[in-house]
Amino acid sequence: MKKRLLVLSSVLMLTAAMNGCGNIATVEETEGSTVTTGGTESGAVAASNSGTSTDALTGNGDKTIKVFLYMQEHEKEIYRGLVEQFVADHADEIKEVKFEITTQDEYNQKMIANMTAGDLPDVFYVGPAAVRSYVDNGYVLPLDSYVDSATIEKTWGTTQTIYRYDGKNIGTGSLYALPKDLSCFAFAYNQDLFDAAGLEYPDPEKPYTYDEFIEVCEKLTIDKDGDGEIDQWGVANADQFGMTPYLYSNGVKFLNDDMTKVNVANNPAMERALTFYTDLTLNGLTPSVDQDTALGGYQRWLDGQIGFYACGTWDVAAFMDPNTFPYKWNLCGWPVGPDGDGRSHTWMGSVGYCISKNTENPDLCAELIALLSTSEEGQKAVSGITTGNSIQLPNIVDLAYGEFKTAVADGTVPYASNVDVIFGYFDSNDHYAAALQETDYTYNGEWFDPFWQGVSNIKRGNITVQDFLQQVEPEMQTALDNAIELQNSATN
Amino acid sequence: MRRRKRKRVKVKLSLMAKREERWAWLFIAAPFLGFMFFMAYPIIFALIASMSRWTGLNSLWGNMAGLRNYKEILSDTKFWRAMGTTIIYMIGIPIGMILGLTLAMGLNRLNKSRRVFMTMYYVPVVSSLVAVSILWAWVFNYDYGLLNSIYKALTGSHGPNWLGDETMIKISMIIFMTWKGLGGSIILYLAGLQSIPKDYYEAAMIDGANAWEKFKAITFPLISPVTFYILITSLIGGFQVFVEVQVMAANGGPNYSAATVVFYLYDKAFKNGQLGYGSAVAVILAIIIFIITALNFYGQNRWVKTID
Repeated sequence: MKKRLLVLSSVLMLTAAMNGCGNIATVEETEGSTVTTGGTESGAVAASNSGTSTDALTGNGDKTIKVFLYMQEHEKEIYRGLVEQFVADHADEIKEVKFEITTQDEYNQKMIANMTAGDLPDVFYVGPAAVRSYVDNGYVLPLDSYVDSATIEKTWGTTQTIYRYDGKNIGTGSLYALPKDLSCFAFAYNQDLFDAAGLEYPDPEKPYTYDEFIEVCEKLTIDKDGDGEIDQWGVANADQFGMTPYLYSNGVKFLNDDMTKVNVANNPAMERALTFYTDLTLNGLTPSVDQDTALGGYQRWLDGQIGFYACGTWDVAAFMDPNTFPYKWNLCGWPVGPDGDGRSHTWMGSVGYCISKNTENPDLCAELIALLSTSEEGQKAVSGITTGNSIQLPNIVDLAYGEFKTAVADGTVPYASNVDVIFGYFDSNDHYAAALQETDYTYNGEWFDPFWQGVSNIKRGNITVQDFLQQVEPEMQTALDNAIELQNSATN
Repeated sequence: MRRRKRKRVKVKLSLMAKREERWAWLFIAAPFLGFMFFMAYPIIFALIASMSRWTGLNSLWGNMAGLRNYKEILSDTKFWRAMGTTIIYMIGIPIGMILGLTLAMGLNRLNKSRRVFMTMYYVPVVSSLVAVSILWAWVFNYDYGLLNSIYKALTGSHGPNWLGDETMIKISMIIFMTWKGLGGSIILYLAGLQSIPKDYYEAAMIDGANAWEKFKAITFPLISPVTFYILITSLIGGFQVFVEVQVMAANGGPNYSAATVVFYLYDKAFKNGQLGYGSAVAVILAIIIFIITALNFYGQNRWVKTID
């Protein structure tokens, strides 16, 4: 009897244990962190601002389309309006468009659940990193016969290529998505601190060299209140997202061209760039690692303690809001290292609308995503030309260089006047260039984790750059090999 | 000798008994089906997935890999590091039990104010884990936290980086978890203490026993079932720590020093899309919990006593 009780109790405990493990997705769903530059580096976890909402927009026809996306509340209003207009224009065909919106944190998990259950929505997002897996597993429809070339040619060059896949390589072959947006991680400076230090503003046509940048940062790093402690720094950096632009701008790549080998040890350009980057902290031009754990660079930037800070295109609206950031500021380029091509480099990001391969209404879905992606009216709304509130930059190049820039210049759209810096990154001109991060081309970004997580050890002075690079490469390579294997397993 | 064949006696149930039996099956059906769908099926699925390189995007059956995930876990330094951290956090279990028992014994002597103190100590237990984790992240903040402010006021120098140092972050987590679980231990110990008959203490007093002898011979043995229950549930909970790490130590803390096994599992399965590998970690974790729980049950006869 006692034995039976023991077995029964143990089984119950095992069940409880498995149950505990199984519940973690739910835990994350309710408490996920927002992926903003501030949120990630400060270590604070913001509560998810909403769950999932579904609007049913009805017509008189017999076709049903399910749309599943993630976006913020204010974006949703604009996109819902576009979908309403679409339903009205096709009222005789459409019975219902189910417009389901969730948070970015919940999106991937829900999509995996949908895929596992074989119940994909008709229209959903795909990121550049996932195109290969989605295509190889037969989830998405090629758009070549549904979207005319004029539609896609209106958009930025990057977004014309990153959603193409030929069965082997990204960048060529059939088109699988239309861009929802294109963003990049630019650099910003606090004009008020420059004025107070009597410094000239950075030239948007000529990004600083590494040496010039250090010189300016030294002048901006001061003890303002005279208590003997530095309380204003030249720059603050978040290792996970804000380190790579410094490295890329010195011609550094983490992986070889076919993304199969990690190349960080015995890489002089990497060593010089990482030394430059970590010396900024070791020489006191950024807050120390300890100070950074107390209050992240993002909060310090908002508090006016920092001269230069990263500015994603998604940050611009917050920085333009005087209640959030009561300082004058503008955009500039990341500093340029001696080993690169002389241009300032950064990374870009995008997400695209795709169509399920199993949809019963491919033509209608294609029309819908073309409207969401490249409708002039919609793009004017999301970029702020007609609404005065810029959620993203226009996907349509002519609109960006034309009406959008005019609206920025005349104050209709509150935006940093040096917006050409961002366009320069998008378009790759003489001074600027940008690309997707290398993690966007591999199955996952696990191989990059030991690098950015370990950099704080150099900043603390616990290890030299050279030793760190030698030490971290094998660990990165193992994770990369694993990612390649997982990528290849997609077709099994 | 020939065995006599037993004749099965057919019991004829009355109509009412049959109807009652049908109802009984109906009552049992709901939790049974719930168990099958929400427990048995996921457990079997997790076991199968643990033997695959399933990513959620690819085919589970097309990527079966036998015991490969398990072999890799055995040599996965990050997993063992997370396991070590999880076990280190369990230092908080005996600390919490000793503190809980001490405070419960104190509260047991109070009459009027007992409920007030019980409520005070129990508030953290019923509070949202995320909310209190965020609160404590600020308490531990290096520059602006309550602890370092007090430290600076007392010593004039800057306090430790509670959440930014590999050792201090473990101590911080232990402090937090002990604080969070203390109220539960107090309530359970208090109930255990109140169930001990007063006669035992009176008899011991007549025999001339001092306070320590009374504790050693009466209190401790008779609350041992409560201690056993707290120990078992704390150990299981200890192996499943996740939320507080996720909130207080984003990315697993400096050099992954705060990451627990479940945090690692989450990282693998949901951040890096390795659902098969993550399932194998879950299965190993479940087996470890099973063994530890079984050992505890096996050893309970030696120290768990009841009044009967």
